Amino acid sequence: MLKNPASSATGLSRRSFMTGTVSAAAAAPLLASAAKAEEAAAVHSRLREAVAVSLRINGQPYALSLDTRTSLLDALRDHVGLTGTKKGCDHGQCGACTVLVDGKRVLSCLSFAVMNQGSEVTTVEGLASSDGKLHPMQQAFIDHDAFQCGYCTPGQIMSAIGCINEGHANSEDDIREFMSGNICRCAAYPNIVAAIVQARDQTRGT
Amino acid sequence: MDAAAPKPGENQGEPLPRIDARLKVTGQAHYPADLPTANIAYGALSTSSIARGRVTKLRLDDARAVPGLLDIVTYGDMDKVEKPKFGNSGATSIGPLHDRTIFHDGQIIALAVAETFEAAEEAAQLIRAEYEEEKPTASFDSPGAKTVDAAGKNPMHKEDVKAGNFDAAYAAAPVRIDARYSTPTQHHNPIELFSTTAFWQGDQLIVHEPTQNVTGWKVELARQLKIDPANVRILSPFIGGAFGSKGPMTPRTAIVAVAAKRLGRPVRCVTSRMQAFGTQTYRAETRHRIRIGAGRDGRITAFAHEGWEVTSRADAYVVAGTSATGRMYDYGSVLTHVSLVEADRNTPGYMRSPPETPYVYALENAMDEMAVTLGMDPVEFRRINEPKVEPIGKKPFSSRSLIQCYDQAADAFGWAKRDPKVGAMRDGDWLVGMGCATAIYPTAAAPCAARVRLTSDGDVRVQCGSHEIGTGVRTVAGQMASERLGVPIDKVNVEMGDSSLPPAPVSGGSISTASVCSAVLKACDAIRTKLSVGATAEGRPLAGSHNEELDFADGKIVAKGGASAKIEDVFKIMQVGAIDEYAEFAPKGATPGALKKLYAGQPEFHGGDHDEDSVKYAFGAEFVEVRINRYTREIRVPRIVGAFAAGRIMNTRTARSQLMGGMIWGIGQALQEATEVDGRYARYVNRDLQDYLVPVNADIRDLQVILVPEVDHAVNPAGVKGLGELGNVGTAAAVASAVYHATGNRIRDLPIRIDQLIA
Ligand code: FES
Ligand code: FES
Repeated sequence: MLKNPASSATGLSRRSFMTGTVSAAAAAPLLASAAKAEEAAAVHSRLREAVAVSLRINGQPYALSLDTRTSLLDALRDHVGLTGTKKGCDHGQCGACTVLVDGKRVLSCLSFAVMNQGSEVTTVEGLASSDGKLHPMQQAFIDHDAFQCGYCTPGQIMSAIGCINEGHANSEDDIREFMSGNICRCAAYPNIVAAIVQARDQTRGT
Repeated sequence: MDAAAPKPGENQGEPLPRIDARLKVTGQAHYPADLPTANIAYGALSTSSIARGRVTKLRLDDARAVPGLLDIVTYGDMDKVEKPKFGNSGATSIGPLHDRTIFHDGQIIALAVAETFEAAEEAAQLIRAEYEEEKPTASFDSPGAKTVDAAGKNPMHKEDVKAGNFDAAYAAAPVRIDARYSTPTQHHNPIELFSTTAFWQGDQLIVHEPTQNVTGWKVELARQLKIDPANVRILSPFIGGAFGSKGPMTPRTAIVAVAAKRLGRPVRCVTSRMQAFGTQTYRAETRHRIRIGAGRDGRITAFAHEGWEVTSRADAYVVAGTSATGRMYDYGSVLTHVSLVEADRNTPGYMRSPPETPYVYALENAMDEMAVTLGMDPVEFRRINEPKVEPIGKKPFSSRSLIQCYDQAADAFGWAKRDPKVGAMRDGDWLVGMGCATAIYPTAAAPCAARVRLTSDGDVRVQCGSHEIGTGVRTVAGQMASERLGVPIDKVNVEMGDSSLPPAPVSGGSISTASVCSAVLKACDAIRTKLSVGATAEGRPLAGSHNEELDFADGKIVAKGGASAKIEDVFKIMQVGAIDEYAEFAPKGATPGALKKLYAGQPEFHGGDHDEDSVKYAFGAEFVEVRINRYTREIRVPRIVGAFAAGRIMNTRTARSQLMGGMIWGIGQALQEATEVDGRYARYVNRDLQDYLVPVNADIRDLQVILVPEVDHAVNPAGVKGLGELGNVGTAAAVASAVYHATGNRIRDLPIRIDQLIA
């Protein structure tokens, strides 16, 4: 008996989806004809070619050569060396990878790096000022013990800044709702809400 | 004062912010998969799609054709390596690449290694397996499930506890209940993904992997690879949540080490969220039958707790929470029995309060049912059955502040305003229910070593091979040194998470604060002694004072009469630049070989119900309000109050956070968490964070933690009871009790979801 495929990391992942290497049954509706299949194979090999991507990250320009399948998250972590942004699921379900792209919060695992060509990316490493003074959100997280293990924290902080920018931090209920895409398994939630309230009031006040 | 930093009560330490807080909010805390490594290759796992049978053929050609592929490690490649061992440091005895037998779904069949993460994943997905498949046994009630007595199968459970004559007492009891409960499969799902990064420098193997047990892993990995443990170094400076999942080492670690050796370059394998469900451990599903007999006055005369737990066919993993439930109240007679049910599953493992979470859930739900049957207030019912000694060995409790916890939590919660009638409390379309339950967790400690250095400039370095998994142990260890040596906390540096540091026990069983702080305390006291001798000798500033009367504070040694000497000056007088002390702590009752075993990665646990003189537990009481929509049956938890007594609290901030996290875990266990097992294929279905539900921010509202002061000198020199696992014990029963109060529906099977409330 032949069973295909052996379980892959993410089942039908974005990579296999893109490259057409899914099992025949799953791929059938996508590849209706042999001609299309060939076309896909050609696309497939091109997808592996490195492309030039330029990004501004925390105010610095970066010129990168990346596999087109590289997520913005992996570009930051593995190619730029900014490991503050975390991988907690790699498919948009935990929020650990949240960064700001042109000021808006984005799940960097769900965005190919090439899609962000020319964008301004802000990560947790880019928040404190050069003299070491913390961003009010960072300080608020410390003041309210808004983390335990700290792994979800960069994503929480970036998301919290995005949440305030969007105008979704007007009440504690709003904060809870609009921060619910960022899972904290240590469950620091009440402290995260308190921290966001403090930072919101401070940044509004200034 | 703000809620996150409770004002310390008696025997409670200052709510200092975490000493690694700045690193954590700036992205500078390096978790193992963040540690920079040059010339790295990426690994991706391929796992089985059947749960039982054999791999007859692996087709690797397509995978090998992927540009950038470097290697595939699979059957045959681990032959020179020892199979893993199941035990404290090892998650399972299954060596997935040692033979072609498939023991469970999602078992590793190969590791693909490539130049990039993308290529490794692509290659792993192209590996094709052919199987000889057998029908697997998924769980309880599945064809082929084998039930065996648990006692004696695992050193964790030597015998089923009992006392008196249960059968006679139960038969004679005027009020009786007999009920069955169940808890589902659960996966820890820490937000940090599991990962291994391995590289060799000559004979030296360096592994970056999130772990709760650097010393144990060093020894176990060396055993598997047949090398000297001195040549293995495990680094885990920060751990992104663990909850037990990173306690025992899984087979992946050795596989990645072998790949790194073959390639002669570093290999990093980050396991996907989905693959973690089958390649790591989990909390297995349990079933319970509880019988309680009581007099009409509410005094319990008979208690029986039978438990059934699923384990793998390969390993007898047992939790047996009957040793705690059997000692909880003044029962008169006790009968317990635990059975294991073997299935074609990966081996389960420790998950936050492994025995207590399921077993105390069943007990406390039954206690609530009995209180209802007796027409008695559930708090009163527990008060009536409060024991003077525990019923099994008739030993006293080293301390037990359960009633104080109930009183303080009830007060803060407003329990007196509860209308006990079922369904009587409403708020518009919402049915309101209130319930409560007891939390209990054994207090243990293990041998631990630590090195502390104080320099003449007042800088302190604490080194201890413990693990910062989010508990705050790095902070409280630093706080202990700061207090004992009289230096400010910002002068204290604490190194942990490295197997080359003085060994500490596995960070499990809520033993870390007690064990680590006891060792740090000992090292600090040795430094104090040296400085005291230096300060009080003939002709020295504090000559004539006795060492025991000296206090260390604000950079000074202060004598009883008020005379003082700057520590800095004492260093000068002594002609010394730094004092470095290495200390080893062994808990009371430790065997003569206990410290040797610590270095060998086999720490002995003492305390809990093991000691001769007394039993040692921390207690708490939790009160929950639920609101259930009368139309949709949506369940919300607007309010939860927990009061806990756990001996000395080192830091009220980190203690509160841990208890808070535990209570929220408890809410998740009550209402959300369950891994669904497909009975046909013995396969986990909801292997991601979208379908494995855990609490999110919007699920939690008003949460209050009360730290009840308690002094207990018997537990350990630091006087500390662990509390990382206390908070999530009992919560689910409190929620079930509140759901009953709101609706009259007694839900005995977790999680409690809408479908169970639509009658
Ligand atoms: S890693 Fe991107 S959402 Fe989880
Ligand atoms: S702090 Fe650990 S996951 Fe949020």
